[in-house]
Amino acid sequence: MQFIVGVLLFVIVLGALDSRLPWPPAKGADN
Amino acid sequence: MIAGHFGFAAAVKGREPATPLWALMLATVWLDLVFVPLFVTGIETLQKVPGAGPYGGSVIHADYTHSLVGAMLLSLFLAAAAAWAWSARSGIVIGLVSFSHWLLDLVVHRSDLPLLPGNAGDLPKLGFGLWRIPIASAAIELVLVITGALLYWRAAAAAARAAGSRALLAITSSLLILVFGCFVLVLDVTGLVG
Repeated sequence: MQFIVGVLLFVIVLGALDSRLPWPPAKGADN
Repeated sequence: MIAGHFGFAAAVKGREPATPLWALMLATVWLDLVFVPLFVTGIETLQKVPGAGPYGGSVIHADYTHSLVGAMLLSLFLAAAAAWAWSARSGIVIGLVSFSHWLLDLVVHRSDLPLLPGNAGDLPKLGFGLWRIPIASAAIELVLVITGALLYWRAAAAAARAAGSRALLAITSSLLILVFGCFVLVLDVTGLVG
């Protein structure tokens, strides 16, 4: 269970860092 | 296999920059996340292989989440959610990354992946069993982690450069992928998790 929490924390921290990068917008990426 | 899935997701982000990394990371372990409550309730189980080491030393009776059809259905569900939230392209990417979990597991598992949910029809189970050669499976996982971190870094640095911003964030995120991936691999190989 600790491992699952660790993985989710990793995803949250990494996701927060990654979202600050100037990636193209995910919404409507087909257009 | 845990670290290798994360490495694969990071590599996909390098090619599909519009799809959020957190969603790719969750998609790559989606089958395992659904496995957890079924494991806790005893519906899906692990069985230690006598004489096997800690790394990949279990037969995994995940007859719903890790059956071929079950994995397809779970991936379709996630793909539909991503398509609804973002775009059809992101939906396809997320669905494929989710299903990649089953394909990577197919390489390492010990013939414990059924075709149909609940192993209906008692058909032969699949798995090439690379876990029997731990050094080979660990090497593949390490290559996936390093490749994923590198491809992610290349795309993130290019995105930062194009926007005229500093590459520090790109380097930090890439290092986090690399360090966490290696850390999880060490935990997995030594049997501290899994």
